[in-house]
Amino acid sequence: MANTATASAARRPGGERIYTNNALIGAVLILFAIVTFIPFYYAIMASLSDPKLVSEGELLLYPRGFSIAAFRRILENSRFLICFKNTVLRTLIGTAVNLTVQSSIAYSLSRKYLPGRKFFMLFIIFSMMFNPGIIPTYLVVKATGIINSLAALIIPAAISTWNIILLRNFFEAIPESIEESAKMDGANDIRILVSIVLPLSLPSLATIGLFAAVMHWNSFMDAVIYVTSQDKHVLQVFLRDMIVQLQNAYMFGDPLSMTDVSSLSLRTASVVVSTIPIVAVYPFIQRHFVRGIMVGAVKG
Amino acid sequence: MSDAASNHAAKLQPRSRGRGRKTLKAIWSCRYLYLLMAPALAWYIVYRYVPMLGTQIAFKNYSFSKGILGSPWAGLKHFAFLFSFPDFYNIVRNTILINIYNLLFEFPIPIILALMLNELRSLKFKKTIQTVVYFPHFLSWVIFGGLMIQFLSPNEGFVNKIIEFFGGDAIFFLSRTEYFRGIVVITNIIKETGWGAIIYLAALSGIDPALYEAAIIDGASRTQKLLYVTLPGIMNTIIIMLILRVGYLLDVGFEQIYVLYNAAVYEVGDVLSTFIYRIGIQDMQFSLTTAIGLFQSVIGFLLIWGTNRLARRYSDVSMW
Repeated sequence: MANTATASAARRPGGERIYTNNALIGAVLILFAIVTFIPFYYAIMASLSDPKLVSEGELLLYPRGFSIAAFRRILENSRFLICFKNTVLRTLIGTAVNLTVQSSIAYSLSRKYLPGRKFFMLFIIFSMMFNPGIIPTYLVVKATGIINSLAALIIPAAISTWNIILLRNFFEAIPESIEESAKMDGANDIRILVSIVLPLSLPSLATIGLFAAVMHWNSFMDAVIYVTSQDKHVLQVFLRDMIVQLQNAYMFGDPLSMTDVSSLSLRTASVVVSTIPIVAVYPFIQRHFVRGIMVGAVKG
Repeated sequence: MSDAASNHAAKLQPRSRGRGRKTLKAIWSCRYLYLLMAPALAWYIVYRYVPMLGTQIAFKNYSFSKGILGSPWAGLKHFAFLFSFPDFYNIVRNTILINIYNLLFEFPIPIILALMLNELRSLKFKKTIQTVVYFPHFLSWVIFGGLMIQFLSPNEGFVNKIIEFFGGDAIFFLSRTEYFRGIVVITNIIKETGWGAIIYLAALSGIDPALYEAAIIDGASRTQKLLYVTLPGIMNTIIIMLILRVGYLLDVGFEQIYVLYNAAVYEVGDVLSTFIYRIGIQDMQFSLTTAIGLFQSVIGFLLIWGTNRLARRYSDVSMW
């Protein structure tokens, strides 16, 4: 429809201006895309360069003296490996916990005949209205005894009310007749959820799961607040320590504070390694989640 | 029919015991559903509602040994201290200023981006641009901020290389108070604009094509279509996003600031969340920082309530 609109508009006098406008829009968009992409592109190129040949601040269109030495070095760094392992664990276990807990409650809330359904909905929605703040939550996490452990990164982050609402909407769309016939055959609700409803909702579960996984992978604030011992840290904290060294080196002009680990090629190599999982799931996120957000937005 | 009949039957037996038993039976038949909800409900109680009760330590002198309930009351002491503490005004000012700059510059850009993408005819081009500009949203602030710090670095960063190329002197951007807030806003724009545009693209795709056809028949130009069809079509979404934004006026993301700032720019860059972290978690001033958090939540709630009322009065959109 819109196509014919431009075509007919273009035929009118002043049509040429429309084409220049289109070119202008295209140019602005390309420029913006380049600006958003340059930092990451630069990191890839610098990490693939020979550490001896590359220096800070050079514009690299292609790797200088191709070398994977930086990657080899970072993968030999024991602290990096510990942080990487913690992040992988946190992401895998955390996502599994998120999906289990959230889909369980979302299924119950999607059953319209459930006595007290309205109350429970209000109960979870009200929690979004008033944010108790960093400190009271920290004290509770401390009181529940999970501070400074992997559980502190998984349990407090186990639920997002938005996800529950999204999942509930998905489950509500599954025809009730399926549930009824399973009940006739004597299946209980848990059985129905596990063997009928969840398999039918795999695309939505994948969407929510991917999102939870990205959240866990990137999450930094909770690691800074809840975890203090070095051996339990996650990648984001490792990367942030590198940045601090870098900032100090700029600030005090002290090349000694700039240890070998924070040299340009190692820094960019660790950024690239930490981003590979995101890049790997990005096409799926784009396909599922963008659509999910669209549906959510249209629904209001 | 059968419904009406059973209603009638229920009226014939007015004993409430029968109805109570019926409710119990309905609850019992849903026992597995309650079981499924139990872990999540327990989570809400422990990690949402108990901390809400915990905000009472803003009015107490919290001590670890006595716990939240056992610590002695202190009245409004912490609030009185806050409001007489010059740094507090500075931090509130920083928080609000960064948000206002974001509102002025970062808020409209996703709308413009969505409108521009919407004008594109080539679907392939549109997809490519979208794929690129959504991506930074999925990087953490540590990674994205780290790359930005490198770009802005004094001797070797790109930006300074360009300045020096044109004969200027290199500037250590991240240690200069006059640049810090600008950097926060610009990096935010680069990282989140693409993602922010999605919601407007959704709204744009919801506009009835018949409206455009009618506009064309009436001889509307491209600008007129934009002003009289497209913008009114997404106005509701814009207003709702605006209400949400104003509600977050005292909320600046912790991670971005924490990664970008350093002691040289605390004066202009320290915001409520980073201050709460430094004074609360690191210096263990729990009561004082809880008071700040409570102040933040209450103001946030009032703001969202107030803007919602305004929106309802002057337009037909509101969140509730």
